[in-house]
Amino acid sequence: MKFADQFYKEGDQLENYTKYKLKGNDELVSLLAGKDNLFVVACNKCFKEFETVDEPDCGEFEKIAVEQGKTITGSIKVDFLCNKIQTEKKLQDIIPEGTENVFVISCGLGIQTVADLAGKPVFAASNSLNYRGHHGMALTKKSCDACAQCYLNITGGICPIVDCSKSLVNGQCGGAKNGKCEVDGNKDCAWEKIYRRLEKQGRLEEFLKQPVQVRDYSKVNFKVVNDYVKSIRENRLEGYYGGIHPSERKEFTEHLALERFPDPQTVVIPLSMHAGAPANPVVQVGDTVKVGQKIGESAGFISSPIHSSVSGTVTAIETHKHATRGECLSVVIQSDGKNTLHESVKPNKDLDSLTPDEIVEIVREAGIVGMGGAGFPTSVKLKPPKPVDTILLNGCECEPLLTADHRVLLEFADDVLYGLKAIIKTVGAQKGIIVIEDNKPDAIELMQSKVADCENIEVVVAKTKYPQGAEKMLIKRVMGRQVPRGGLPADVGCVVSNISTTKAIADAIQKGMPLVERVVTVTGEKLKKPGNYIVKIGTNTKELIDYCGGVTDEDVMFKAGGPMMGFVLSDVNVPIMKGSNGIIAIDTDQTQEMPCIKCGRCMDVCPMELSPLYYAKYADEENWQGMKDKNVMDCLECRCCEYICSSKIPLVTKIKAGKNAVRGMK
Amino acid sequence: MRITEAFERGEFVVTAEVGPPKGFHIDHMLEEAKTYLSDITAVNVTDNQSSVMRLGSLATCKALKDEGLTPIYQLTCRDRNRIALQSDLLSAAMFGIENLLLLTGDHTKLGDHPQAKPVFDLDSVSLIHTVKRLEEGFDLGGNELVGEPPKFAKGAVVSPCSDSIDAQLAKMERKVAAGCDYFQTQAVYEPEKFIQFMEKAKQFGKPVQLGIVIPKSVGMCRYMNANVAGIHIPEEMIDELKADKEKTKAGITGVEIAARIIKECKPYCQGVHIMALGWESKVPALLKEAGL
Amino acid sequence: MLITQLKAQETLASLVDGKKVFVINCHGCKEVSFPEKEAAELQKEWAAAGKVTGVITTDYICNPDNMKLRLEKHMSEIEAADMVLVFSCGVGVQTVAEYLEDKMVCAGCDTYPLPGYQGVTPLEYDCDQCGECYLNLTGGICPITACSKSLVNGQCGGSKNGRCEVDSDMECGWERIYRRLAQLGRLDALKCPTQVRNFATDDEVSK
Repeated sequence: MKFADQFYKEGDQLENYTKYKLKGNDELVSLLAGKDNLFVVACNKCFKEFETVDEPDCGEFEKIAVEQGKTITGSIKVDFLCNKIQTEKKLQDIIPEGTENVFVISCGLGIQTVADLAGKPVFAASNSLNYRGHHGMALTKKSCDACAQCYLNITGGICPIVDCSKSLVNGQCGGAKNGKCEVDGNKDCAWEKIYRRLEKQGRLEEFLKQPVQVRDYSKVNFKVVNDYVKSIRENRLEGYYGGIHPSERKEFTEHLALERFPDPQTVVIPLSMHAGAPANPVVQVGDTVKVGQKIGESAGFISSPIHSSVSGTVTAIETHKHATRGECLSVVIQSDGKNTLHESVKPNKDLDSLTPDEIVEIVREAGIVGMGGAGFPTSVKLKPPKPVDTILLNGCECEPLLTADHRVLLEFADDVLYGLKAIIKTVGAQKGIIVIEDNKPDAIELMQSKVADCENIEVVVAKTKYPQGAEKMLIKRVMGRQVPRGGLPADVGCVVSNISTTKAIADAIQKGMPLVERVVTVTGEKLKKPGNYIVKIGTNTKELIDYCGGVTDEDVMFKAGGPMMGFVLSDVNVPIMKGSNGIIAIDTDQTQEMPCIKCGRCMDVCPMELSPLYYAKYADEENWQGMKDKNVMDCLECRCCEYICSSKIPLVTKIKAGKNAVRGMK
Repeated sequence: MRITEAFERGEFVVTAEVGPPKGFHIDHMLEEAKTYLSDITAVNVTDNQSSVMRLGSLATCKALKDEGLTPIYQLTCRDRNRIALQSDLLSAAMFGIENLLLLTGDHTKLGDHPQAKPVFDLDSVSLIHTVKRLEEGFDLGGNELVGEPPKFAKGAVVSPCSDSIDAQLAKMERKVAAGCDYFQTQAVYEPEKFIQFMEKAKQFGKPVQLGIVIPKSVGMCRYMNANVAGIHIPEEMIDELKADKEKTKAGITGVEIAARIIKECKPYCQGVHIMALGWESKVPALLKEAGL
Repeated sequence: MLITQLKAQETLASLVDGKKVFVINCHGCKEVSFPEKEAAELQKEWAAAGKVTGVITTDYICNPDNMKLRLEKHMSEIEAADMVLVFSCGVGVQTVAEYLEDKMVCAGCDTYPLPGYQGVTPLEYDCDQCGECYLNLTGGICPITACSKSLVNGQCGGSKNGRCEVDSDMECGWERIYRRLAQLGRLDALKCPTQVRNFATDDEVSK
């Protein structure tokens, strides 16, 4: 028997508590009297198994209204009607001319949301149901009444407020008969249960010594709750809709200075570390190569050249394991340990003398791609199709655990600033903004002092919220501009650049050094000695982990990248790449997927204001058209929905499946 | 005697109020009531006023009645659910207490037991409705009462100088609809506002007693202005109290002001209700000064 | 929806006094509210004092199946402890207490109600799920939650300058209702029969 079966009612896996029911026929008839031209808004209900989208109540109400000879001007069914921000958008312009009254079928929250928006008389056609005490996200049983003075510590973990019909806090009344409650013969007397539990744990003495308990009803009051609501709301809606605040856990490495990782004896350099076509190898087995020497040539407009990170001999060009693509053609180089620079590596002209096109060419030739993980060729980004006025330097590093960009900001501030100036010049922008989250006060202070005498560059401090580093969120937060659906930052006059990428641009111009190394945070609660390392591209991940003392135990999950958007590494025998900002070793989580309960959390945290719960449902039904209609292609795969999902549904996997299917539909 | 009878006779009905002590010794309170309040129509007994725990209103009413006074039993919804309220109403009827003033009650958080559970199972309007049901021979659950049903004069309060007169009138109308027989008002310091209010309240055809609190001191006025709902004491009145400190201390100025308000409002109302707040001894002087 | 707040430091100190503790933190509702930093600090102190046999930080421990899967890995640490201290809402504590029936399971937090549920972002106003919606009489403003006394027949006499007697930061709910009705030309709604609440429906209708 599953342990949870003890919690569920027989034959009923999930407590299906809908939150409203239609008012009675008589009441509706009298409510409808004298009112005509009705618009009906119905909520699709929450906290129930997600089986059907439509609830029957709307149709039932419309039937009654029509029987009363009423004209219905229209109707709409909405998910989570109480989600004011989304409801406002959905109801915009939808109530037709000639509507006199709006009838809402929803719990009181939804009704009030509509009443606030509609500007017309709004009537409730339903009553809300009581769900007090039902607040476990798992919806298994009624167990906590939120009394603000938890008694569980003196009752062996059985709640006397909920389980005792009289909510007695000093022991049972005299009403129980055969251990059953006087109010409900099916219910065990809570205090007998408490007594038995305490007896079993040998805690009766402790219970008997407890002082007399007197409830304090002043603790729960509107003021306390309202103050909370206000603060949480502000926090939640800060800057842009949605997002989450996962535990940062950056304290493992944020204060550790960069360290050069010891030179590897062998590097395996994949020919694909970027978006677009893999590079074509331009060396052969047996060739001698030097640091910075091109070993792979760009294979198209969206592609990038690849360079050697060591000097030595090419020993193989073969398929190797790859962190994100499974496997990939890679150049294996045996290092000679000398790090001899290739003759092409030499400083360029100074920034003032370079033309924008020259800079683009330098960046392209240096093989620079987005180092935040996406790997989009930076040279393409530097030739935006539309005029750009602002460059946003993304110093958010909103992924938990990672501190690579943070350390680069601190230790290469001048290079980062140089790179930013180069980008501003290249795209002809007026302004550069360095955005740093408020959890990095040292970086903020340093950069503020560095930009003090730059007229067109400023530092903006953003309150920490994930996924702030996503381009669209960053632009919304800092510029208040909304990148259109399917659009690019350039559509709203912005280019966003990652910190490490910007530093790489500076290196390419100042030293002529292509992208052959990067900063990697190696961390996680399962790693013995976390740190921030300057690592040569192509270094084996396992060497990094071993160098960091290995892991504390075998129950561990490795990811390339951060815990949110990183790729799970089932094998750590993969090379570090241009986009490898972190290698993390974290605790595993053995949970099982449960049915969706329509808690609405995924919709509440989705920064793109999508409805992830439908993706889970539609992916299981292979309803790809449905996913397309729900705008699955807009998904950033930021994993907020999966993080918050109380049913542990692997939403991103389902979304990826949907995206692949939709791409194939064309 | 039900005070509705006095209204029906066309009398200008004078009532005052006493607050039971925190304790059960009421000899002093009874003595004061007998000395100063025996000439007026009836005496209100407050129900744990300001949410401060005191001797019960019902018991105090009974004691006043035994002394030959006519008590008005104030009953709030703060501390009792509908069962207790109805039960207490029947107890009052048994004691021959026939006058009620039915209120919602201050919130528990305002008193000396802020941790207490606020009940508000019923409110002033539904409490009036409940009393009416009892008078019809049924309790709120629809069960028939045994024997002759009780009969009460059902009073309620209204706040004529509050910020939103329209909302006050709407509530008053609801009270009337529920069966309210008469009203006592919150303390009035602005006769003009009161008169304006009464012009509108006339339509309900229910007697209204003007509420009076004798201004004792400048500090008291300031406190009431800052904290007491529906009360605004104009600056000129406060200046009057400031003018002669000795006279104010002796209560002479306060009585003068109160008497003036009564005289000014008398043509527009059917009685006066004096909330003496410990100055019961000044009531006779006030009535004399006001010509009552 | 629930809010969790850490119990008073002294309460927690006396609770763990002389005991070895296994700690469970539930972050499932962290976006709503969870005293993450305070709890972590306290646990660090205890750990330094050698009181802690293990700590897990997880989410949705109210889900008994997943809670069990997660605790299974830590049974030896739990066995080594005199007490399991759970930092979560009351639902989470009870789910753990029921699973570890023979163990002393205690709560590190107090739980407050947060009416106005939707996702994780609470609303500014709320609905108390009373089961007999009054919104049709009040122009769409809930008198149960907008009024400190949950009055259903109009305002009490306690508001001063339009502010509630209980909380001067709060507008009198019934003055708001009156304004809304006046604005909608629906003041006649106030002429409805006297309302008496039916508290029995609360539980019954949800069955």
